[in-house]
Amino acid sequence: MRGNSFLIANYVRGNSIIHRTPLWLKFLVVAACGTASFLIVDWSVSLVILAIMCGLFLLSGAGLRRLLRAIWIVTPILVVIGLFQWWQLGGPTAARIVLNVLVCVVAASVLTATTPVQELLDGVVAIARPFRRFGADPERFALTIAVMLRSIPFIAGAFSDVRDSARARGLERNPRALVLPVFITTVAYARQTGDALAARGLGEPDDAASGN
Amino acid sequence: MNSISFSRVSVRVAVDGSDAPKTLLSDISLDLAERRIGVIGANGSGKSTLLRLLNGLVEPSEGSVVVHGDDTVAAVRRVRSNVGFVFTDPLSQLVMPTGREDVELSLRRSIRNSKERAARAEAVLDRFGLLPLADQSIYELSGGERQLLALAAVLAVNPTVLVLDEPSTLLDLRNRELLRRTLAGLDQQVIMSTHDLDLALDMDRVLVVESGRIVFDGGAAEGVARYRALCAAAVDSATEDSAKEDCAAMDKRWLGGVQK
Repeated sequence: MRGNSFLIANYVRGNSIIHRTPLWLKFLVVAACGTASFLIVDWSVSLVILAIMCGLFLLSGAGLRRLLRAIWIVTPILVVIGLFQWWQLGGPTAARIVLNVLVCVVAASVLTATTPVQELLDGVVAIARPFRRFGADPERFALTIAVMLRSIPFIAGAFSDVRDSARARGLERNPRALVLPVFITTVAYARQTGDALAARGLGEPDDAASGN
Repeated sequence: MNSISFSRVSVRVAVDGSDAPKTLLSDISLDLAERRIGVIGANGSGKSTLLRLLNGLVEPSEGSVVVHGDDTVAAVRRVRSNVGFVFTDPLSQLVMPTGREDVELSLRRSIRNSKERAARAEAVLDRFGLLPLADQSIYELSGGERQLLALAAVLAVNPTVLVLDEPSTLLDLRNRELLRRTLAGLDQQVIMSTHDLDLALDMDRVLVVESGRIVFDGGAAEGVARYRALCAAAVDSATEDSAKEDCAAMDKRWLGGVQK
């Protein structure tokens, strides 16, 4: 299993100004980029924001290679989306939509490349804490994020493996030979992950909530 | 209190397209107090089910399993904090992208302070010689390093019992030896299923599982010998059956030819 093609950049140790920026501010920037993607109507504005985000990524010292890899992985999907939107709504709209998705990917990469995962999870727990009064367990929010971060590269890796084996059998044009094995592998992975989390006692009700 | 007991435990599961459930384990009664216990048996014999009962990952259909005074169904949370479980494939167990993050994840419930947690994770990784690899992607580690990391992540929370489901299956000889030495140095009670009979010979007690039943319970050397005999008998019987089937098929073909 390849599984190492991360959609968003892994944490890179460093002491840049971006690394030292408080987590809440980085969260805010990512949320703002997500919101802006719905509001911006001019592709040139999207391009400027993308340039700023790329600048912040490079300023963090995470490197051009990591940035290009994060973009490269989503390129096939963006090409399909871009061509469809160009056909349906014209060039400027297609460019705006593609650039807005890229803004979100690069903003998320800035966050994950400059924040240790545990700090990120602590941040999620802090944000989710008010929901405790409704019976929610903030640690479970964090665990969900952790599992999501782990699952994306796994599924990408599973797809690469299945595509290679389909190619070896001359079935690369058969969508069933590509989709079904990835689906089955993903379900099996979900079950294994569930077992592993349960075995480690992760995701169990919080001490306060458990009578056990 | 400091032992594990199985009391008339059976495990059955529903099978698609059949009204009758499949029996995975049948009427098992055991007391496990030795420091090193090995479980050996053929694929599908019920070894993994037996081990999963210890951590509450599988619930008995009948009977009960009690670990250090806690029932694995009624007090599953306490049982899981006492019983660490290591799976065959460490990749299905490691949740985080790097070793450091995975060990820290194990510690999230027990240590709320992030600096204290990071220091403890570093100490655990150092103990297993994994500190230089702490920030590498788990996909960049060798099979042995991953298995050691999975072990470290489980031991980080100091369980009293360590259960390992065929931990050496995916390892080469060198990594197998590394795992063997690491396990030998642990303070925890170790209960492990394995196909590695050399590893089984290190155990204080061996259980041989066959078709959901314990067919041998005793010393390691005797247990391994019994398992080898069982395997040889099964292969002989299968070969005999296969030869009989071949003869029957040839007879049928020959008779068919004569009748034409």
